[in-house]
Amino acid sequence: MCLRMMEMTPARPGTWTKRNILPVLGAGLFLWSAAPARGAGTGQNVEKQFKITGRPVVVIHNVANGRIEVKSWKNSEVDVVGTQSSNKVGFDIEQVGDRIDVTATILDPSAQPLELEADLQLTVPEETELQLKTETGLIYVEQVMGDMKLESYAGDVHLKEVSGYIIVKTTGGSLVCTQCAGKLDFSSIGGNAQILQPQLNNVNLMTTTGNILFDGDFVRTGLYSMKSGKGLVEVRFSSTDSFDLKAQTATGTVDNQASAFLKPDSHGVKHMASKFTHGLFGTVGMGLAKVELSSYSGTIRIMKRD
Amino acid sequence: MQCNDIELVLEQEGLEPLREEARAHLAECRDCRNYIADLTSLVDAAKKLPSEITPPDRVWIALQAQLEAEGIIRTPADMVPAESASWWQSISAFFRNRVVATAMVAILIAAAAVFQIRSDRVTPASDARKSVEAAPAHVLQEVPSGEFAGTAQALNDQEPVATGMIFASNSPVDASLRDNLKKVNEFIADCERHLKEQPQDELTREYLSAAYQQKAELLSAMIERGRSIN
Repeated sequence: MCLRMMEMTPARPGTWTKRNILPVLGAGLFLWSAAPARGAGTGQNVEKQFKITGRPVVVIHNVANGRIEVKSWKNSEVDVVGTQSSNKVGFDIEQVGDRIDVTATILDPSAQPLELEADLQLTVPEETELQLKTETGLIYVEQVMGDMKLESYAGDVHLKEVSGYIIVKTTGGSLVCTQCAGKLDFSSIGGNAQILQPQLNNVNLMTTTGNILFDGDFVRTGLYSMKSGKGLVEVRFSSTDSFDLKAQTATGTVDNQASAFLKPDSHGVKHMASKFTHGLFGTVGMGLAKVELSSYSGTIRIMKRD
Repeated sequence: MQCNDIELVLEQEGLEPLREEARAHLAECRDCRNYIADLTSLVDAAKKLPSEITPPDRVWIALQAQLEAEGIIRTPADMVPAESASWWQSISAFFRNRVVATAMVAILIAAAAVFQIRSDRVTPASDARKSVEAAPAHVLQEVPSGEFAGTAQALNDQEPVATGMIFASNSPVDASLRDNLKKVNEFIADCERHLKEQPQDELTREYLSAAYQQKAELLSAMIERGRSIN
């Protein structure tokens, strides 16, 4: 078609010029008008690296919508990569000694939710303290050792192979903690908590309407408290575990699917459930750890893993 | 004069005016000059701070909830409903005279006692329970009673402010906050209802206390969100 057009001899040079220039001008105008919108919609990256001398503290406050991902490496550096969906979101990144502050801020309050997406990807030394706060979007932390406080309104929190004193606070977001070690505090209104293959010696889980699943070993001398207002509290233990169990519910039910493994308390203490609650007390093994499960109106399920 | 002496002088006499000997030492000692400069900047910064910082409402609410939960303080069980506050305030403003006010309170107490006796006779306990169960959650939260009455009232006063601040927002975060507020309110209403029937149930009391604290934090989050988006 182009060749044919080139072969054509215009009747009048003026007409030919107009016909050929107009589409070009039109296309140019279209591209020019589309350029700002395209810029606003295209991802822009910010990357910074910070040298660290000791154990770093990383503080992130993401008020935009987006994911925060933290992984570790052997280097004594913190690498921060920020991706923003538009120029209506900005990143403030600064280092003060071994503290790195990252803040994603909204530059244009009239921006639409899609324009306010800002993802952060961090690579930190293995031993790092974290304080992450986001509104929505996943918080993902993998292979980091150190105390961490993770807060989210609507976003989920996924932790894998992390250890330290871990505090997770959400409004509606759920927690999945796989192979975590140390101490864990979780509180939420609507979020669920799944604790899988843990090595935690101190656990406090509290959700108002969410469910709780604890699937793993109870460390000897560990303390475990799991409470759900309306949800299901399910514990799956192994036959080699050793713990004292106290399960209580006000208006819910206790579903004991491991009665063969639960013996009456072996320490000579006779437990009595309050007359206002349904309770279950028992011991597995020598009763070295202490496990307290409760639900206001939900079900408490106790199971033994195969 | 040595560096230690400078510290002593500062401790006893303050930053200025410095004694001649101290000034002579400073002229020669860089460390002490830096030390003085740091102190001066700290004092300057402190002077710029407001003399009183008012903590946010949620601090008081959480504190009150905690004290009530621990039984350290107790609020009166019979609270005036929120919607009655305006007419009650206008009456109390009208009856400034102490004698009239005392007589008025006596009449109100007598009227309340008569009303209570009559309602006890007329309404069987089971019917009262049914009516409480049938009432929607928002009605129950407007008429708090029991040991958490003060907390409930304070939170209910805050609630329209907090929800109003993110009312127009259609972001997923605000939708989630509203949804979770609804969940907490329903849970609180459920626990309040249960506690009314079984006031000795400690487990329910613990859950109710925790729910009020969560509500306080949630309202605070909504207010903060509202400030950031408006």
